[in-house]
Amino acid sequence: MSTASIVKTRAGKRIDAWRWGGRIFLVMMLLYTAVPMAWMLLTSIKSGFAAMQLPPQWFPNEPTLASYEKLLDPTNSVGQDFLRFFWNSLFVSTTTTMLAVAVAVPAAYAFSRFDFPGRKFLFFAVLLRNMFPAVIFLVPLFILMRLLGLVNTHGSLILTYLTFGLPLAIWLLKGFYDNIPYQLEQAARIDGATRFQAFFLIVMPLSAPGIIATAIYSFIGAWNEYIFAYTFLNKNEQLTLPVGIQRFFSENTTDFPGLMAASFIMSLPVVVLFLLLQRYFVRALTEGAVKH
Amino acid sequence: MAHVVLENLVKTYGAFTAVNNVSLKVEDGEFVALVGPSGCGKTTTLNLVAGLIPVTSGEIAIGDHVVNDMDPKDRNIAMVFQNYALYPQKSVYKNLAFPLQMRKLPRDEIDRKVREAARVLDMTHLLERKPRELSGGQQQRVALGRALVRDPAVFLMDEPLSNLDAKLRVQMRSEIKRFHQDLKATIIYVTHDQLEAVTMADKMAVMNGGFLQQYDSPAQVFAHPVNMFVASFIGSPAMSLIPLEASTVDGQTVLTGAEGWTMALSPLNARKVQRSTTRKIVLGARHSTIKLAKNASPNAIPAKAYTVEPTGDVTFVQALLSGAVVNISVPPNVAIAPDEQIWLEFDQERIHLFDGATELALKAD
Repeated sequence: MSTASIVKTRAGKRIDAWRWGGRIFLVMMLLYTAVPMAWMLLTSIKSGFAAMQLPPQWFPNEPTLASYEKLLDPTNSVGQDFLRFFWNSLFVSTTTTMLAVAVAVPAAYAFSRFDFPGRKFLFFAVLLRNMFPAVIFLVPLFILMRLLGLVNTHGSLILTYLTFGLPLAIWLLKGFYDNIPYQLEQAARIDGATRFQAFFLIVMPLSAPGIIATAIYSFIGAWNEYIFAYTFLNKNEQLTLPVGIQRFFSENTTDFPGLMAASFIMSLPVVVLFLLLQRYFVRALTEGAVKH
Repeated sequence: MAHVVLENLVKTYGAFTAVNNVSLKVEDGEFVALVGPSGCGKTTTLNLVAGLIPVTSGEIAIGDHVVNDMDPKDRNIAMVFQNYALYPQKSVYKNLAFPLQMRKLPRDEIDRKVREAARVLDMTHLLERKPRELSGGQQQRVALGRALVRDPAVFLMDEPLSNLDAKLRVQMRSEIKRFHQDLKATIIYVTHDQLEAVTMADKMAVMNGGFLQQYDSPAQVFAHPVNMFVASFIGSPAMSLIPLEASTVDGQTVLTGAEGWTMALSPLNARKVQRSTTRKIVLGARHSTIKLAKNASPNAIPAKAYTVEPTGDVTFVQALLSGAVVNISVPPNVAIAPDEQIWLEFDQERIHLFDGATELALKAD
């Protein structure tokens, strides 16, 4: 009896140690990710002078929203550029997202429900694209875009982002459709629905969380993408935010509060989207992991 | 309501034949159970009738219409699924209303029919709930309600009770039977549980390996199984099947067991045995038709008790005979110990004889 209790306490202590180790690790990770963001936010409300001070002011003595006002004011050149980049990014990301969802929904459904020749091969091919680092495709895609006359158009970016986003979108959504019992569609068809109605009225609403997650995923991917945007576009009025911010501020000396304010505004849509829809997102990534 | 006719129905998947030349007629208002072990083709047959999978060859008629090329929605059928297939995002009310909405009925008529169905199935208080907030039995009831809400020509039920616990299953069994009696509905009911088929159905179609084995009333199937498969599948505990050898001793046809004992046959049974294609005969006997004695008697065959299973109102004794396990039921007050010497007497009027090669029941003429 005594040995058993000793073993028990030992095991208990070991678990405790692991648990505390885990907590400390998580706190470190939190600091690692949160501190730069906090610093970004704090710098963005400093004056240009305060931002360069050494030792640094941890919290600005005279917080100011001047940088934000400058960026969002369409009457000065800085604001004009920034708002244009923002609009460009929004356009490219939204179009990519809509196209990705429009193609991924029927594609994923087909992969999930139908048995057609070459189904396995095609599904593998869809994933193959994502097994290589993006840089490998940079030069070939640039040549291709030049041939297609798409260099310096947003079309080049949308096409490129789709080739990255679609496979994952299809993969994610297929998991969702796999989890929706086929009998639901059969029941709907017996209840008087056509095949399409069964999909549209029964399956689509059930897969809404998956579709939302897929949309967020494509949007974030397109919104943050830098390398392709940097390579394919060089006219100022075409640039998307990541490239625009970088190029813009390296040209106009280094305005750190301005840069940080721009970065903050750029991260807002993603954060807001994520906060609003995070429960769908988490569900989508775990759905299909276990069979109910 | 309508009758359903299957004629030479075949469904193949590549080289595999799931349904092999099945023909049967379900009369108007009849409750027919398709019964058989897993993979026997019963569910495939039901899905063919529903139109959920295309027919390879043969014909399906519902009422007076051949429906082979009709969409499920145009066949005027309702189906209850094993996993109920309730629409999870819809309330019970909307689940019941869905088939009516699809038929574009006016809103007030839909409301009237949904409430009527809910009243019949005693679930008016559940109408606003979502399926996940219901118990298994309640979900089952909603599935039934969704089927009955629109007066279909035929009800198709695919193992509707197999996801319920034992007690609820017995209760729902009698509810579905009652439902059939009240509505005079034509029902095709798939189950792997022969007890469900025997207790509920007007007729049962026993299937195995894609073939229809026997199609008759439960009483007939029980009393006159056409082959060894049906004999062993229907009835619980299963009919004991004992492989024996036929021979003629002094002009009398007898069966000999592996242990060397012989059993004399009645003239009728002797005629049956003479029609066998082989000397190998399989003797079938249900547990209740075998008489067990503790002492030897002229016609009794010696055996040893193997296990004894008291169930309360009846005790089942298993004995080994000629390499087969024989089930015998005795009253609970008969005390038998394992390995005890017993004598078994078979009722010549009630034994079944099968051809050892073809496995078909032997007939006297």
